[in-house]
Amino acid sequence: MSASTESGLPAGKTWKSKEEFLGCVILTDWILLVILFAVLLGSFHIHYMLLAGDWDFWIDFKDRRMWPTVTPIVAMCFAAASQSFFWTRFRLPIGATTVVLALLIGEWINRYDNFWGWTFFPINLVFPSALIPMGFWLDIVLMISGSWLVTALLGGLGWGLLFYPINWPVLAQYHQATEIDGVLLTLADLIGFNYVRTGTPEYIRMVERGTLRTFGKDVVPVAAFFSGFISMLVYFLWWNVGKWFSTTKYLEIEEV
Amino acid sequence: MMNQTTEKAVSAAQADVTDTIVNFKPAYITMGVMLVFYVGIRIYEQYFGWKAGLDSFAPEFQTYWMNLMWTELPLEFVAFCAIGGYLWKTRDRNIDAVAPREEMRRILTLIGWLAVYAFSVYWGASYFTEQDGTWHQTVIRDTDFTPSHILEFYLSYPIYIICGWGAFMYAHTRIPQFSKRISLAFLMFFAGPFMIFPNIGLNEWGHTFWFMEELFTAPLHWGFVFFGWFALAVFGVARQVLDRVIELSKEYEKDALAL
Repeated sequence: MSASTESGLPAGKTWKSKEEFLGCVILTDWILLVILFAVLLGSFHIHYMLLAGDWDFWIDFKDRRMWPTVTPIVAMCFAAASQSFFWTRFRLPIGATTVVLALLIGEWINRYDNFWGWTFFPINLVFPSALIPMGFWLDIVLMISGSWLVTALLGGLGWGLLFYPINWPVLAQYHQATEIDGVLLTLADLIGFNYVRTGTPEYIRMVERGTLRTFGKDVVPVAAFFSGFISMLVYFLWWNVGKWFSTTKYLEIEEV
Repeated sequence: MMNQTTEKAVSAAQADVTDTIVNFKPAYITMGVMLVFYVGIRIYEQYFGWKAGLDSFAPEFQTYWMNLMWTELPLEFVAFCAIGGYLWKTRDRNIDAVAPREEMRRILTLIGWLAVYAFSVYWGASYFTEQDGTWHQTVIRDTDFTPSHILEFYLSYPIYIICGWGAFMYAHTRIPQFSKRISLAFLMFFAGPFMIFPNIGLNEWGHTFWFMEELFTAPLHWGFVFFGWFALAVFGVARQVLDRVIELSKEYEKDALAL
């Protein structure tokens, strides 16, 4: 098969005109962005659902200790990697917002179409955690500071601290106390008890319990602060993971 | 004279049509077909999941679910071999002679392949994987081959593997920069998500020992996470593609920067 062009253009010419070039580049840029968005959606979603999924799936897992600790830490991985790529290579401060938006689109489609549509769990049991303002925060810190070090320290801490407050407007109503047969529990617990999940019985639900109550009302700030601390460390690591995956290295065929 | 002029104009117009450098139509059509297919699959499982998918020992389970699996697996294997075989067989054997315009055309075709791959990754990694979680929280599994697994592990995963394989082979057989050496990023972008499929072996092996009351975040599932990370190599692939587009478009660099 001959590989020569059939265009009749002089050898070495790629484009017929500036208009053709510009039209093609703009379209191709958009398609590349869609590709990145879809791949990040799939990759981030499988990462997130299998490392933090249970706390994100169910309203009765959204407690004051495990949920605000685990979820931001797990989400930080892809936010940092994505920022590393978009900022280092294109100076675009959109990495974190883009990936959390992608994740939430995947999650909302799933919660509606599958959790509710196929297996009939009500949406108020299975809605995903909000993350978008955290994405804004991380991107704004990076944009203003221009430094991944500052973003790791300031952005990472804020990432952990913001998580609970931004989810609170939706969550608060489910943390109302209720009493059933003499047992005091939250509305979220009650919904959970009424919708039995065959694979996750109550005794393996990982939420705050027992002596942790001695912290009383301070559980959330402590958990959020801890989450922010680990998010900083995760940011350092995953910034470099993103950088590593941006490699343009080639291997010789004999090496493979 | 008039006739000759008209003929020239017509042939010039025809040449223009055949010389179109951007043609994403095959990619759009493939994604459209995939969308319709998956919507159809979703309707099938909505109905037959509840009607015939609750008890793997029931005859209707064999009819509606196991038969589906025994049909899809060989078809996927054939598709994998056929796509790889076709692209290899029709490879460019004179790749050093590719003119810039033709190379750009092929790069754009590769972007179409990547779009299809990305779309199939969404369905496999996001849609059908989380869906599996909700099925397992609703129905007690009495087999490795649950309705959700038959569509997730043995349908949507092989489909994205086939798409990734096609993209990789297209680049390797037609585009100079990817043909003489292996792009590390492209290799990871294809091979990482591919490894999720063999990892099903670990997952199902673990689940086979007992009915597992589990968190979806159980360590047994972390193999999927690890291999899923490799999809981030799309960053490197995007860079390599864009670098080459820039090289091939040097003459319009200023115009691009002015955008």
